[in-house]
Amino acid sequence: MAAVKETVETVAALEKYEHGFTTEIEQEFAPKGLSEDIVRFISAKKGEPQWMLDWRLDAYRRWLELEEPTWAKVNFPKIDYQDSYYYAAPSTKEGPKSLDEVDPELLAVYAKLGIPLKEQEVLAGVEGAPRYAVDAVFDSVSVVTTFKKELAAVGVIFCSMSEAVREHPELVRQYLGSVVPTSDNYFACLNSAVFSDGSFVYIPPGVRCPMELSTYFRINAKDSGQFERTLIIADKGAYCSYLEGCTAPMRDENQLHAAVVELVLLDDAEIKYSTVQNWYPGDPETGKGGIYNFVTKRADCRGDRSKVSWTQVETGSAITWKYPSCVLRGEGSSGEFYSIAVTNGHQQADTGTKMIHLGANTRSRIVAKGISAGKSTSTYRGLVSAHPKAKGARNFTQCDSLLIGKTCAAHTVPYIEARNGHSVFEHEATTTRLSDDQLFYCQQRGLSQEEAVALLVNGFVKDVLQQLPMEFAVEAQKLVAISLEGSVG
Amino acid sequence: MSLASALKTGDLTALPSRRDEDWRWTDLRGLLRILPPPAPAHDGDIPAGPFVELTDAGTVFVNGRRVAGADVSKGVVALRFVALADKTSQAASHALVVKPGETLVLLESHEGRAGGYVSNVTLDIAVGEGASLERIILVEDDAEAINVVTAEIDLAPGATYAQTVLTSGARRQRIETRVNHPGAHAQVRLDGVYILGGQRHADQTTVVTHAGVDGVTSQLTKGVAADQARGVFQGRIVVAQGADQTDARMGHHALILSDKAEVDAKPELLIFADDVSCAHGNTIGALDDEAIFYARQRGIPEAEAKAMLTVAFVGEVVERIEHEGARAIAAAWVARKLGSPT
Repeated sequence: MAAVKETVETVAALEKYEHGFTTEIEQEFAPKGLSEDIVRFISAKKGEPQWMLDWRLDAYRRWLELEEPTWAKVNFPKIDYQDSYYYAAPSTKEGPKSLDEVDPELLAVYAKLGIPLKEQEVLAGVEGAPRYAVDAVFDSVSVVTTFKKELAAVGVIFCSMSEAVREHPELVRQYLGSVVPTSDNYFACLNSAVFSDGSFVYIPPGVRCPMELSTYFRINAKDSGQFERTLIIADKGAYCSYLEGCTAPMRDENQLHAAVVELVLLDDAEIKYSTVQNWYPGDPETGKGGIYNFVTKRADCRGDRSKVSWTQVETGSAITWKYPSCVLRGEGSSGEFYSIAVTNGHQQADTGTKMIHLGANTRSRIVAKGISAGKSTSTYRGLVSAHPKAKGARNFTQCDSLLIGKTCAAHTVPYIEARNGHSVFEHEATTTRLSDDQLFYCQQRGLSQEEAVALLVNGFVKDVLQQLPMEFAVEAQKLVAISLEGSVG
Repeated sequence: MSLASALKTGDLTALPSRRDEDWRWTDLRGLLRILPPPAPAHDGDIPAGPFVELTDAGTVFVNGRRVAGADVSKGVVALRFVALADKTSQAASHALVVKPGETLVLLESHEGRAGGYVSNVTLDIAVGEGASLERIILVEDDAEAINVVTAEIDLAPGATYAQTVLTSGARRQRIETRVNHPGAHAQVRLDGVYILGGQRHADQTTVVTHAGVDGVTSQLTKGVAADQARGVFQGRIVVAQGADQTDARMGHHALILSDKAEVDAKPELLIFADDVSCAHGNTIGALDDEAIFYARQRGIPEAEAKAMLTVAFVGEVVERIEHEGARAIAAAWVARKLGSPT
């Protein structure tokens, strides 16, 4: 009965949104609003070279000409792009040389979030405990990146984006914007103009990254948006596993998070990218506040036999609008997408993936599980397409939706475009509610209704949870239970 | 935004284009640069329709004009739309009511007996309480024609509606069916077959809106695309809030027989109620090489083996036609299209 016990404990530990605290920290802001001057300001703050500034300005000019898209099944009042701070950073005199120089207040925030930033603490942990390197991004800047030395010893570059622009301009220039072009879409274009920080990873040929890499994004400042940019390059035969976590304080106004993540995979490379997204979802009763999570994530499998795997657990955000995609260009490359999207209260999620088969014998697999409760809406939207040259392409898609309660909605909108006679596409989707029989069975055996729901839901999403790295799987399981608290009855 | 309004006003910008979400795979604006002149009235004989051996009763439209027919709403009735003028445009609309408790088999045919025409047909069908309608739609358009057929079906509680579309496509073709499903033990079956070759295109779009409790919808569409043809399936099932105990199933399966053919599918479920059971399945692929090998091993030539397998693949939909005579005609049509001996 270990599973049941764990569920009971999880439910007992429920809190509404445990990361909702705010931190009073001395911060530096750019003036409110968006203009060429702000773009120049951000670039200057980061001490960027001229080419980077030009790139940003070009993106900003294109953005002015783009129209905000409206096709997603999400409703929100028009965003006033001038009513937000595009740069907010904890004030520091100079960039901290080591962890000891980082503002203790900041470290306390990450300690409260349960994220180990002190290498020695991680090292002092239980023997054999998993170690993972962390890049901690606080509003617009990366405050610290751990284990850099150890990673550098095997040739892995793991640093903040700002640092990469300074230290490794040749790599950044070669790859930045090569997967998600500047004017790819409205929000990616905005991000290209004002992106602040994010992680940069380069794994050299044949190297298997010795530890999990991770980023923790934290939005803290009021009225600010977060625009991080992540670029991961896995050279020939390289492997890395990357984790991403996100939290934000509870505020009554909406905050915009428009990130871009680009993955580049050369021959035989493999990247496993896992996200546990737990932005503040807004007030469950009134729907007030919460993060708008409009993110563009794309992996470009350029090399033959490369492999990318996206796993996401989406429990937070007032609105989630994102489609982590795979461009399967290399022959025999493969893409996977495993997703759990949990919506409750007034949350809205329009999420899914795109699998674009361009090369021969490319394979993809999609497993998407959506759970809607309360007054929320959850939509799976996905595209699977095969180019005439993608002979032997293979796709399997499964999307299941679970509805809890009479006022929620679950939609499935898959697009399938097959353009050659040598590929196979399979898609299946189901929408059901929690089975009364199963609930009754659990309750008969002494579980409370909420415990029973948590147990059944965990069973429903098991296929996806299994894909997550261990540390995340436990957290994700708890998150799913927390997000559904109070949804039955 | 429709072909009907473009034909009426002559305004080409009223045509749906790829930028319209519901028309992304059936672009009319990019294709139709000028509207052909309206078709003239036809005087002279009208060739016999495909269902002639099953019934004499029914309504006939020629070049968009109603030329014959009484309003019969029970038994077995034909509804024919015949195009007899080259490079012209025509628009027709027709309404039909099946009275409560009655049973009607509607044998609808779209007969392109001219070249390069543009045709728009709008149908309004109401099926009364406890009534039953089986609609079989056989569409044989010219390879250069543009044809849009839109039907709006209103069902009363306890009504039964069954539909089978059989089409070989056109330059651009769309058969759209919108069903307002009241739940209340009403039953819907929406099936379709497309068999496409050359540069033909066929779009089968359905929208079923379940508004009340206890509704059943079952959908099965199967298609074959060869040469440079393009098959499109867009199915949408909407379950409104409160439409509990809805049971909806949708299936679309397609075979692509050439590397230049294309099949696009969008099977959508939009669910606003929780006590429902909805599912859809979609598969697109090629013929099974092993099955072909098996047949050849037993002395069946490759072409014949392929035809056999394709007929069997599509046959599942034809089998679901309830009216025996119509089923036989549909089976013969499929066999003819796929070049298989009957």
